[in-house]
Amino acid sequence: MKDIVFTVTHLKFLNKDVFELKLTAPEPLPECRAGQFINLKVADASLCLRRPFCLYKFDKTSVTLIIEIVGKGTRLLAQLKKGDTVTGVMPLGNGFIVEKQHQNIALISGGIGCAPLLAVPLTHPNKNVCAYLGFSDKSKTVLVDEFKKACRVKVSTDDGSYGFNGYATDAFLDDFNSGVFKPDVLLTCGCEPLLKAVQQISRQLKIPAYMTGETRMGCGVGACLVCACAVHEGGKTVQKRACADGPVFLIEDVVL
Amino acid sequence: MKLSVNIAGVEFKNPIIAASGTFGFGREYNRFYDVSVLGGICTKGLTLLPREGNAGTRIAETPSGMLNAVGLQNPGADRFIREEMPFLETLNTVVIANVAGNTEDDCVALTRKICQTNVDMIELNISCPNVKEGGVAFGVCPTSVENITRKVKRACTKPLIVKLSPNVSRIADNARAAQNGGADAISLINTLTGMAIDYRTRRPVLSFTTGGLSGPAIKPVALRMTYEAYKSVSVPIIGMGGIMSAEDVLEFMIAGARAVQVGSANIFDPFASFNLVKTLTTLLKACKIEDISELTGSLKVN
Repeated sequence: MKDIVFTVTHLKFLNKDVFELKLTAPEPLPECRAGQFINLKVADASLCLRRPFCLYKFDKTSVTLIIEIVGKGTRLLAQLKKGDTVTGVMPLGNGFIVEKQHQNIALISGGIGCAPLLAVPLTHPNKNVCAYLGFSDKSKTVLVDEFKKACRVKVSTDDGSYGFNGYATDAFLDDFNSGVFKPDVLLTCGCEPLLKAVQQISRQLKIPAYMTGETRMGCGVGACLVCACAVHEGGKTVQKRACADGPVFLIEDVVL
Repeated sequence: MKLSVNIAGVEFKNPIIAASGTFGFGREYNRFYDVSVLGGICTKGLTLLPREGNAGTRIAETPSGMLNAVGLQNPGADRFIREEMPFLETLNTVVIANVAGNTEDDCVALTRKICQTNVDMIELNISCPNVKEGGVAFGVCPTSVENITRKVKRACTKPLIVKLSPNVSRIADNARAAQNGGADAISLINTLTGMAIDYRTRRPVLSFTTGGLSGPAIKPVALRMTYEAYKSVSVPIIGMGGIMSAEDVLEFMIAGARAVQVGSANIFDPFASFNLVKTLTTLLKACKIEDISELTGSLKVN
């Protein structure tokens, strides 16, 4: 693997805190999978750690990321201008493995957690995919139109200001219970309460579910062991590396 | 130009050694470059039995550095020997096994076991701040440093490095204690104990509450301690703490180090150690230094 020096070719704010960043590489990129991530260097010597971001869209020479401003590092990235360069290593992590028998796929996300899921329908155009995208309120909705171009979509808001009134998991159960959609697999990303709800649904309905979570990360390549994710394995709780063993885990195994 | 250095009879092709806990067992970085270009690799801290480490958040970024509280997660001696040693043996670089334990007896038993492998050296870790028992507990008081060093040395058939904690009253006393106990070399510094707090939740960021501070933020402290240790012992010193550039390497060597370990820099940049070897050569040429060893302890005191 190598460090890639990307050029910023596009930066657009989707709402006041979330922006889309397109990075173009000088040469063809390695093959990527939905759910994999990039570890990006920030141009500030006092911020030593790289920042991991899931791949939102990718093609042979570019990757697009969806970034929420949560601190100094993401604020600096938001100030990048077209033509600036930024260094990163990618693709990292396992990503979502969509199996052959998984023809019907439900995507369940909370907020910006929808970002890593779009590449699933984009890279599997022959699958029957429905995205249940949950947001806190109408002002926080992002990427809905992008999902609509790729698959069926059901938007929900916690306060009912847009779409289904409730959580994304409620919207999914609504469809499931009324027989509208019976998926073979659930793929999810979002806050911990959402992940817990999906874990419960997966157990109750006996539908396998895979999650990609969020954790503080160090090297991003599996060496430093700081991004521990507690997983049940062989009757024991073991600490897996989110960066190298994940970031996608079978939700059944994860200690949430 | 001569880049090689000798520590306790072990020849390193250059003075750049990957530090314990930041480099796994070398496999991950070998996907980025041939890790045999390094002078040496120090393994993740090993214990007799496998350890899962601390649960929850293990890292926090700090200005020009980071805090970690991994808690010595490692596969244990048997799996290390079975699964990691065969790979390490294929490398053309010095392999140093970092050993730790809850008790002196654990450290001794582990050292005995690891010495039966083809590792080149043992680094005794009496300075891990992120475990409840053992770890730094052995490393604070000079008397306990000397005692554990002596016991481990008796069981150790390979050259023994003792890795010192900076969280002590007088580093010179601890360096001397390690030497008196029979250490063949000393490495320093391990991380400085620190803390990060989230003002919104009023909770420590790290699940373990405290963690070990590393990165460029600690370099001045590490340089000072390398210098003080150099003045107080005659065994070779391996310096570390926030090394990011070839210039940093030279500074540590001038302070008294015969070689250096590079830790957090690997976490910040997967090519850090590789780039250091390359830029070190360039810098030595520019400085017209023929033999890198001439730098060791060459500080001109004001």
